[in-house]
Amino acid sequence: MVGLSVGEKHFIQGGINQNLRSDGRKRDTYRPIFVETGVIPQANGSARIRMGATEVIASVKAELGRPSALQPDKGKVAIFVDCSPVAEPTFEGRGGEDLSTELSVALQRCLLGGKSGAGAGIDLSSLVVAEGKICWDLYIDGLVVSSDGNLLDALGAAIKAALSNTGIPRVHVTAAASGDEQPEVDISDEEFLQFDTSEIPVIVTLTKVGRHYIVDATSEEESQMSSAISVSINRKGHICGLTKRGGAGIDPSVISDMISVAQYVSEQLINKLDSEISAAEADEDES
Amino acid sequence: MLPSPSPIPSQSASKTVFSKDMEQQSATVKWWRRSVEWWNALTCLSMFKPEIGDIIVGRVVEVAQKRWKLEINFNQDAVLMLSSMNLPDGIQRRRTAVDELNMRNVFEENDVICAEVRNFQNDGSLQLQARSQKYGKLEKGQLLTVPPYLVKRQKQHFHHLVQYGVDLILGCNGFIWVGEHCDARDTVAEEQLNNTEEQNTKSTRVSENVPLETRRNICRVANAVRVLSTLGFSLTLEVILEAFNLSSTLNLGIDEMLVSEFHVLVAEKEAERRSSLTKKKR
Repeated sequence: MVGLSVGEKHFIQGGINQNLRSDGRKRDTYRPIFVETGVIPQANGSARIRMGATEVIASVKAELGRPSALQPDKGKVAIFVDCSPVAEPTFEGRGGEDLSTELSVALQRCLLGGKSGAGAGIDLSSLVVAEGKICWDLYIDGLVVSSDGNLLDALGAAIKAALSNTGIPRVHVTAAASGDEQPEVDISDEEFLQFDTSEIPVIVTLTKVGRHYIVDATSEEESQMSSAISVSINRKGHICGLTKRGGAGIDPSVISDMISVAQYVSEQLINKLDSEISAAEADEDES
Repeated sequence: MLPSPSPIPSQSASKTVFSKDMEQQSATVKWWRRSVEWWNALTCLSMFKPEIGDIIVGRVVEVAQKRWKLEINFNQDAVLMLSSMNLPDGIQRRRTAVDELNMRNVFEENDVICAEVRNFQNDGSLQLQARSQKYGKLEKGQLLTVPPYLVKRQKQHFHHLVQYGVDLILGCNGFIWVGEHCDARDTVAEEQLNNTEEQNTKSTRVSENVPLETRRNICRVANAVRVLSTLGFSLTLEVILEAFNLSSTLNLGIDEMLVSEFHVLVAEKEAERRSSLTKKKR
């Protein structure tokens, strides 16, 4: 990330104050979003999302495993993010590890809810095959290919698109087992269950620069931020997760205001994403 | 030594844009896609090839002894000597130790500067000079990066768009500056003459807000440059103004210029213009 001169910083801040950012957007407008699904054929589901110059790829792999003893009726989901050195030279080697961990934790908090599974955006009970014995483990991987700000929103959208592209093979339990024995299963190659993604939340990040908040900040704008709040909101307008970044403290009334702005923005984002995802799936079916 | 990967994502982005309307592609768009694929191959072979007299826009990365080091999208940083800058009193004198200590008041780290290539140093890096009024620090605007081969050498690289109040500087190294118009850019004169009110003038001049109408024009010109850079067209004032006027006549919101439909319109307009040029030649 190159530095900015004093004049450029003033220009960016002035633009945000006047509701006209460097690329002509208003404070609450997203960059054009392009979605492509099925980019990784070996995975159960995958998607690539591009927002301006930020490009991320998400893939979902499903494997059969044992549910944890504490929650025998729920499947397991793990989310990992990798920041590729292609995005930024500073991500080479272990440089991107901090950012990767931060993004993974934020995504887990926003999409998976607490340790008990409460408030999860993804319905884990739909992943169970035989209660207590077999469940689906979903491994969701995110890859940051190009970074120009707003990685969390892009990753959240990519995961939503990848999950709607995911086909989980239908499993027939062939023999009932008693006690601790694993039942035999027959994994069908033909039938697939599409994952229900209408309940999956989107993540909206609001970046506070000066007295105003902007949505979908570029990396130049992010360098000017005092703090940022990422809210994951589902279709009903309910909050599924909340993360705050940045060194400056925020007044609680400001946080409530930012959350209501995020709710307003999330409606348009969810509709936009859904239409883009269905268009991308239609394209994939044709090709 | 490979050039920076920044051109490549924008080119592959334009491929994603057009994968959706495969059936409805007109001949111009198909031509454009083939030329973009050709540009992709060219990107790895092309790099900024400087010549003496080129106008360069660069960013200060280091304030060293009697010189500034600038980053200019080249494999080495360029050097701007203290002796290659004008002194406030205009006298051609030897720079003193006081001048050296005041270097940071002139240009600091991360400042954006426009200058001219003076000559090449022994190790292949560039030596710049900024002796004229039109060179110097650039403030109140935005800096864009495009692939260097899109900026061809022309008679004029400084464009003052009078009716919009916008300065457009096409640096030969691929750095494009779009900002509010500044009459004189000789910052050394302004800084050192107002010694006592130095802090005040500097901060007030920079923090004066750009008027909204000028800001709209700046953003529209900048988006026109972004669209042309994604499409891979050479950047000349004519083409940029054409894209600007196209978006104004269509009453597009400034951010709507970055949508794929507008890219198609600009490509078609440019194809028309080029075919009418070849017809005239015949």
